[in-house]
Amino acid sequence: MFRILKKSLKTGIVTGQHPHADQPAESPSQAVCEKAMPFRQSLTIREVDTGSCNACEMEMNALANPIYDIERFGVHIAASPRHADALVVTGPVTVNMERALKDVHKQTPDPKLVIALGDCAINCGVFKGSYAVTGPVDRHIPVDVRIPGCPPRPAEILKALEEIRRPASWK
Amino acid sequence: MTNQLSLQQRIQMAFPGLAAAYSVDGLLHYRVEKSRIPELTQFLHEKARGRLALLFAVDCRPLAEKYEIQYLFAFASDHPWVLLTIELAGQDRLFTSITPSVHAAQWYEREIRDLYGLIPQGHPDLRRLVRHEHWPKGTHPLQKAFPWNKTIGRQQADYRFRHIEGEGVFEVPVGPIHAGIIEPGHFRFSVAGEPIMQLEVRHFWKHRGIEKLFEQQTLSTAIALAERVSGDTTIGHSLAYCQAAETLLHIDVPRRARYLRSLFLELERLHNHLGDVGAICNDTAYALAHAHCSRMKELLLQLNDRLTGSRFLRGAMAIGGVTKDVSAIELSEIVALLDGIEKDFAELESIIFANASLTDRLETTGVLTERTGWDHGVVGVVGRASGIDQDVRRDRPFAAYDEVPVNISLYRYGDVRARLRVRMDEIHESIRLIREIRANIPQGPVAPAAAHRPQPGQWALSAVEGWRGEILYFVMTGEQGSIHRCKVRDPSFVNWPAIQWAVVGNILPDFPLINKSFNLSYAGNDL
Ligand code: SF4
Repeated sequence: MFRILKKSLKTGIVTGQHPHADQPAESPSQAVCEKAMPFRQSLTIREVDTGSCNACEMEMNALANPIYDIERFGVHIAASPRHADALVVTGPVTVNMERALKDVHKQTPDPKLVIALGDCAINCGVFKGSYAVTGPVDRHIPVDVRIPGCPPRPAEILKALEEIRRPASWK
Repeated sequence: MTNQLSLQQRIQMAFPGLAAAYSVDGLLHYRVEKSRIPELTQFLHEKARGRLALLFAVDCRPLAEKYEIQYLFAFASDHPWVLLTIELAGQDRLFTSITPSVHAAQWYEREIRDLYGLIPQGHPDLRRLVRHEHWPKGTHPLQKAFPWNKTIGRQQADYRFRHIEGEGVFEVPVGPIHAGIIEPGHFRFSVAGEPIMQLEVRHFWKHRGIEKLFEQQTLSTAIALAERVSGDTTIGHSLAYCQAAETLLHIDVPRRARYLRSLFLELERLHNHLGDVGAICNDTAYALAHAHCSRMKELLLQLNDRLTGSRFLRGAMAIGGVTKDVSAIELSEIVALLDGIEKDFAELESIIFANASLTDRLETTGVLTERTGWDHGVVGVVGRASGIDQDVRRDRPFAAYDEVPVNISLYRYGDVRARLRVRMDEIHESIRLIREIRANIPQGPVAPAAAHRPQPGQWALSAVEGWRGEILYFVMTGEQGSIHRCKVRDPSFVNWPAIQWAVVGNILPDFPLINKSFNLSYAGNDL
């Protein structure tokens, strides 16, 4: 017990100790911000990997570490699409995952946001054209937000999520 | 090398008249009649204690009207690899399955059947592996006649899972989409109450056609693709690819670049192992250790970003060397950070092992016996936790490991705790290696000298000990510097089938923990 307390005291607060991201090149459209209105205080995300290289997942996981601690911004990760407000999709959509993606989208209650995370989800990246890839996410389900990068840094993901949830009057 | 002679002599004695077609330091290559393959492989596996490291096919068209199937066996550390090649000429589509005597061949042969349409006769399980049931019949994407960007249709069919029937036996399907942020895969459990009676893993949801995509690249452009085979193993895969390309191009890598390659590889090992230690603790609901580990992991990822502009060290490898030199100041910064992390981590280790409720969950959970591991040809961290003494860094030194030798940590129990211990030991060892690298790194260039242009049809094999284990690449050149064939083998491909045996008898709620302790890549497996 003593050891644990000592460790915690020694470590101190690390949250926020990361390089901050630049403003994203594109700011989200009015329509997206309106759609994100109900989720301003709390946003529950279900992550769906449709064929990524898994680096995008690692960065999503990093958001939950004590340094980014995304929960303090009211963002949670849900275990089921039925509990989700937003789907974060990573990777190009493979032939084998196409059906699963559509099912998940159907299972997610409306209103919902779809966030394409990483270059692969946006335009298939290096996997473009392959027989085993059916196209980027927006070929199968409507995409509201695109976060480019290969993979996008956690700080960039945070920034993008902040942008869409910021009240219009602050802009 | 006396040992090389002895293995070669033993083969000669057992099979008089069989001559090595080709032999370089570390590799013996035999071209054999396809009818002889079962007896030869059985001899290499059972008598000579060889591990089937790789089995794959090559479509030689348009250079020659034939398929080749290659069997690679690896032996104890100072023996060479043995590569056997058989030919299926013309319209011949049949070869004899070796799975009945070499169990490790089972997924490889199913993969060959799916991707090439060649039939392993006598294989006990001919269900589809890579191609899910909805792919139309006759779709074999790695045949040269198959266009790389063809659109695949859909047919109706279902996968036949193995069933256990009886009173009180239930099936629990899990996936492909899981509860956490993990990659997609399907697990089908048969349980009686809580204990697992059988697990069937069904993967390849993420099959992206990587090997076919390699064939659309040239030798020099394919690195970006190799980096994205499995994102968490960016350096492992790109280094293995670069080494194969360098053999083909006759490039000598400058010494300083070899040291930097080892440095990057160890940095990758460190951040992944730290993440895994935390995640294993987290799956026993010990969030504190997870928080500390992910904090340390984040420090390393930020370091990577400062060094190379990528948190996963993307773009650091180049054919012939590395793209980024690391200055003496940066090296001291790295070592200073690692000194801190080592102390930090050692404190955490004592906290972890002082927690009886945590260690109790780890011990005797998910045991993979040495025998089962050997039968599957298991490699890497999982193998070393089950007493399988294998590490490419020691057995076939690459990068700077001949000058900076590694100490291997070996455990026998094969349970979750052993896999955790191997990772913890390797964290300390990686930090030690990086200190050594800093102390010994020579001055000099880090970029390659001018390159040759390889002839079509030449090939090279390369191996790297990534943080999960042995990564293998086979690269064969085509016309004008293009790639004719690139076989990629992530350690996950051989370790996944073994997990099916490690869970038997454990309770279902322990599966996530066991799975985490293996922590295999879905992307690297599915390709
Ligand atoms: S965008 Fe990049 S990091 Fe993300 S899945 Fe694709 S290749 Fe991997």
